[in-house]
Amino acid sequence: MRIVYNWLREIVPVPDDVDTVAREISLRGFELAAVEQGREPVIDFEITANRPDCLSHVGIAREASAIWGLAIKSGSVARDAGSDRIPDSGQRIPDSGQRIPADALDVVIEAPDLCPRYCAQVFHVTVAPSPSWLQQRLEAAGVRPINNIVDVTNYVMLEIGQPMHAFDLERLGQHRIVVRRARAKESMRTLDGIDRTLDPEMLVIADAERAVAVGGVMGGADSEISTATKTIALESAYFEPTSVRRTSKRLGLKTEASARFERGSDFELPPRGIARAAELFTQIGAGAPISPLIDRYPAPREKRQIQLRSARIARLLGQVVPPEDVPRFLKPLGFEVAPKNGHGEWTVTVPSFRVDVVREEDLIEEVGRHYGFDRLPVRFPPLDAAQPPPDPIIVRDRLIRQTLTAAGFSEAMTFAFIERQAALPFCERGVDPAAIQNPLSEKFAALRPSLLPGLIDSCAHNRRRGRKDIQLFEIGSRFTSRGEGCGVAFAWLGAATLAHWSGASRTADFFDAKGTVELLCRAFGVAAIDVAPSSAPYLVRGRAAEVISDGTLLGVFGQLVPAIGDARGLVAGEEVYVGEVDLEVLARVAAGDDLRAQSLPRYPSIVRDISIVVDETLPAASVRGTIRAAAPSTLVSISEFDRYQGKGVPEGRVSLSLRLTFRDPDRTLTDDEVQGAMDRIVEALRTEHRAEQR
Amino acid sequence: MSDSQIDALRADFERDLSTATTVTALRGVRDRYLSRKGGLVSGLLKSLGSAPPDARPRLGKLANDLRQQIETQLDERIAAAEADRPPAGAVDLTLPGRQPALGHRHPLTLLRERIESIFSRMGFLILEGPELEDEYHNFEALNMPPDHPARDMQDTLYLAAPVRSAAGSPATLLRTHTSGMQIRYMEQHKPPVRLIAPGRVYRRDNLDLTHTPMFTQVEGLVVGEGISLADLKGTLFVFLRELFGEERKLRFRPSFFPYTEPSAEVDISCGACGGTGRDCSMCKRTGWIEILGSGMVHPAVFEAVGYDPDRYTGWAFGMGIERTALLKWGVEDIRLFYENDLRFLEQFPL
Repeated sequence: MRIVYNWLREIVPVPDDVDTVAREISLRGFELAAVEQGREPVIDFEITANRPDCLSHVGIAREASAIWGLAIKSGSVARDAGSDRIPDSGQRIPDSGQRIPADALDVVIEAPDLCPRYCAQVFHVTVAPSPSWLQQRLEAAGVRPINNIVDVTNYVMLEIGQPMHAFDLERLGQHRIVVRRARAKESMRTLDGIDRTLDPEMLVIADAERAVAVGGVMGGADSEISTATKTIALESAYFEPTSVRRTSKRLGLKTEASARFERGSDFELPPRGIARAAELFTQIGAGAPISPLIDRYPAPREKRQIQLRSARIARLLGQVVPPEDVPRFLKPLGFEVAPKNGHGEWTVTVPSFRVDVVREEDLIEEVGRHYGFDRLPVRFPPLDAAQPPPDPIIVRDRLIRQTLTAAGFSEAMTFAFIERQAALPFCERGVDPAAIQNPLSEKFAALRPSLLPGLIDSCAHNRRRGRKDIQLFEIGSRFTSRGEGCGVAFAWLGAATLAHWSGASRTADFFDAKGTVELLCRAFGVAAIDVAPSSAPYLVRGRAAEVISDGTLLGVFGQLVPAIGDARGLVAGEEVYVGEVDLEVLARVAAGDDLRAQSLPRYPSIVRDISIVVDETLPAASVRGTIRAAAPSTLVSISEFDRYQGKGVPEGRVSLSLRLTFRDPDRTLTDDEVQGAMDRIVEALRTEHRAEQR
Repeated sequence: MSDSQIDALRADFERDLSTATTVTALRGVRDRYLSRKGGLVSGLLKSLGSAPPDARPRLGKLANDLRQQIETQLDERIAAAEADRPPAGAVDLTLPGRQPALGHRHPLTLLRERIESIFSRMGFLILEGPELEDEYHNFEALNMPPDHPARDMQDTLYLAAPVRSAAGSPATLLRTHTSGMQIRYMEQHKPPVRLIAPGRVYRRDNLDLTHTPMFTQVEGLVVGEGISLADLKGTLFVFLRELFGEERKLRFRPSFFPYTEPSAEVDISCGACGGTGRDCSMCKRTGWIEILGSGMVHPAVFEAVGYDPDRYTGWAFGMGIERTALLKWGVEDIRLFYENDLRFLEQFPL
């Protein structure tokens, strides 16, 4: 709200330093957008949604009155509603000499639920440009001058907060105003020249036949004031906030009037708006009333009364505010304050323009605002219970970050919405991505079903900037039409280890991805995992695996399908390895908090290496399985330490070297026992897998 | 032998000594001057007989002094050079070491964990919740009924079709704040309440230097008997001064939020100009920077969760972690937090 400093000073004699005035008012809850010095200084305040009364100079003047203890100047602007002068019916109009009948205009409210009060008056006018002082003031306040009639309505709105509208009376069929709901499919052209289709939830101002204005939002083009206009019907009404808001939203039409009505205007203000306009018309010679004031107000509203207790003020603010200060703060703001039950309790009558004040807390805010939050003491809330343990989700996420950063991955954060096209390959078959109804753009139209599309984009961002070795991970929410879940994903391309002068670095491959998944499982104490081929459409077949623990799918990993990386800007020919783990499943299969330490072995172990040649398609897991089945329980570990194809190994075969460790918890094993076990193992491998020992 | 020969030899030696840096070169110098056969000093001494007899004692002493001096200097230099020579198996200490790869946590995580640790120490529970919400928990229970103008303050992203949320109920929107979690917590627990709820939130804001449609928020809530605005001030003083520095001043300005009454916006004195505002673009010459919104929980919120507003009072606050990070680290563009450029991420401590 642009407050013209000299206009404000006409209403209340604020100090003559613009910056001081701006700062002091801003500290009462009106954030400062700008202060413009110069010939016509302007203070631009941001008015919060709860204070429509301050979308006017009078509203800000009341705040100033409370701050500096200054009285609002008496005069037309600040006059009480009770003293409005309503011209007599049949009043003599000076410039025309005509006598106008009392029934020059007929006003009917058919929808009092949407328009509880409607005032109107007919004026004889001479349409012309406004005098320059009026034009300059409107321009300073940010409103474009149009003609003297429209300018006066805008001036009144900016001054006292009542939006008004002037109709050309001759364009109103049968000189009638009917305030009613729009008919289905009823249409009209608004002042901005756009044809609008209305619906019965919208309020219109109509003449005998058709809609001539969208109530509280915008007037119609057909009844607009023109230079030929001789008589006007001036409207000043109270429209229900919810209805104006809905209509404005549905039509996509926001105006100065709708902004005020939808937040809640003052139901006592409509007649005063007309009175002030009449005064200005006279002052600038724009016109004079030729009808009485018509005031349709079928069910007058009562002002709210609220009990205010000094003790409650102290409880909320943490400070006793001297009881004599309370009326001193509230009265200048328009509240009537009557003491009740002696000291420290009041009955407060809320002025009709304070739509935001409905309970005691709202009054306490008024007291606090003008007492000053900065004067309140500084305390610390007493601890009356021990802190509960942290949310397990937080502990879980910290462990993941610790593990993955230690493995060289940096943490990424990406947006949860992505292109629908980018989401599709990552949705399970038969499950749709969750779509956003009102996305900012097509790029943000779907919620991510996986963290991978975002990570791939982040990898591409880095790759385009010359970075070759990239390790990123993200922890975050994932969504499908079935609901929300949580996962961790990683992407790896380029070197597997940091480059070093001592030797060439290796490029990351499938087993780096697998190792990352295994590491995560180890961090969570997941007892055993199995892998199986995955058919995920975004992974290269043959290099795609599912991770299963305890019969539940824990995640997937493998090589990203090159076409997906290429489409997002990665470099063709560079392999990208990715993986993603479901964190809810991970937490479920994780080891609990019941660890028992094992005592260390008391007897030595015996280690035997074995090299066998088997078919290259034989999975290592089968070899392990055969060894386990053939070995005694003293076999405590098997580890593959070499895999070789090439010279000396026949085509289609592979040489596999394994290290077997034997140990008995209760005694020292003999060489003979271990040799016997090895012989049985070699025999089993030969029978099961045609394995030859090298 | 003459005085001039002795002087010339001394000058030659000093030149040779200055250019010899290795042990081998120094030994060469020793041979050249001191070797019994053919050493220059030895030769000089042998020529003593050719000097006039009365000058022989003096010249002989001079020549011997020179020999002594050369020996001492060479011994010192050779010892020093031998001490400098690397022992067997020595490596080049200046070559780069071999580091295990170590990734960086995201700066927003660093800041969030910092905030969590400050509030943990003050006895706050840390709570996480679903990002998909229903109208009730995101708006209605927070004193924002349908068609409430305050809903415009938080332009909302809606789902095209309802989805089962992590909390179990059908969700229709992306949460605009983490307050829904606090409502759920209060529905299930009696006061006292003392918690912070960090998490990602969504608003229909276009990307620019200071806005992203998804950002991270941390909200705090304290409810009990006799909790006042003074307690809010005390807690925020501890929190913000630990985060930004003990010298910072705080300012509480009245504001409006539908779920708090009274409401206050909190400003922190500008770090760039020390709060003077002089020629400061950081704080637009005001000396103050807005850091968070707060207030006393609105009684309508207590009524929605079944707390007695006459018995209990409480306060709440909410702040954006991105914005705080911009201020704390002088980051100029909020989008950097979501591009994941490793050159940016690696600037932050591990």
